[in-house]
Amino acid sequence: MAQRDPMFNQQVLVDTTPMPDHIPKVEEVGATSAPLFSAAYFIGDRCKAFNDDYMKCKEDANGRGEIECLKEGRKVTRCAASVIKDINTHCLSQFKAHWDCLENNNHYLFECRKPEQELNSCVFEKLGLKKTIPGAPEHEVPVHQRPKQKYAQYPGRQF
Amino acid sequence: MPQDMPPTGGYAQVQYKRNLPARGFKPWVYMVGMHAIMAYGFYRYFGGVREQRELAREKMWARLYLTPLLQAEEDRDQVRRYYADKARANELFGDDQKVYNSDRFVRPTFAYTPGKLTQ
Repeated sequence: MAQRDPMFNQQVLVDTTPMPDHIPKVEEVGATSAPLFSAAYFIGDRCKAFNDDYMKCKEDANGRGEIECLKEGRKVTRCAASVIKDINTHCLSQFKAHWDCLENNNHYLFECRKPEQELNSCVFEKLGLKKTIPGAPEHEVPVHQRPKQKYAQYPGRQF
Repeated sequence: MPQDMPPTGGYAQVQYKRNLPARGFKPWVYMVGMHAIMAYGFYRYFGGVREQRELAREKMWARLYLTPLLQAEEDRDQVRRYYADKARANELFGDDQKVYNSDRFVRPTFAYTPGKLTQ
């Protein structure tokens, strides 16, 4: 019977050719899902103009956005990287506590309101970035500031 | 023989009514109680629905804020592969070959697998 040795060859499928020199280099953000999700609102707060610019460019490029919008894309990445870098320098412990909590709780934001509150207040003090949910009803407390979360495992006060 | 007469003092009462004691509360109490329980249930339900809606909004905006970042990274990767493919095609065929009759960016159907790395 034919035997085939087990072989992991996924790495072979990656085309490792570097970017051509006429395109400026940019360092990728390199954060995984939980830190990005944790910092999403701060990225949105600081980089909204760049994000909108990029998405507008993609929409107007009529299917050629991948090549034509590289400049806007670099701005988006640099801006997001600056936010991550600033949070890392000023609020590292709170940031880490929050995304650790997210990773342990299936990325459910409502399980992690206590670390989120600490992160939000630290980021607002040090960087001036504020988490606001667009379109939320104005007359009630925003969902991320409610101490009790109905769908959390522990439905009592989280902070 | 004397005639058969009723007993002195008359006959005893014949019980023709059923004697069923009314059990439990008055019917309207049950009606009101049922509605109270239902109202409380709906109150809790809609409270939960509202919170779910807000949580969904929160998650959606978090993803909306991340989308351009992730898309930019993906596009850059696609462009890198595109230029690599083009360079390989130029090396093979000698000139600029256009595969599609369109100037849109087309994600490649076939992925290049470098042969030299498998040994």
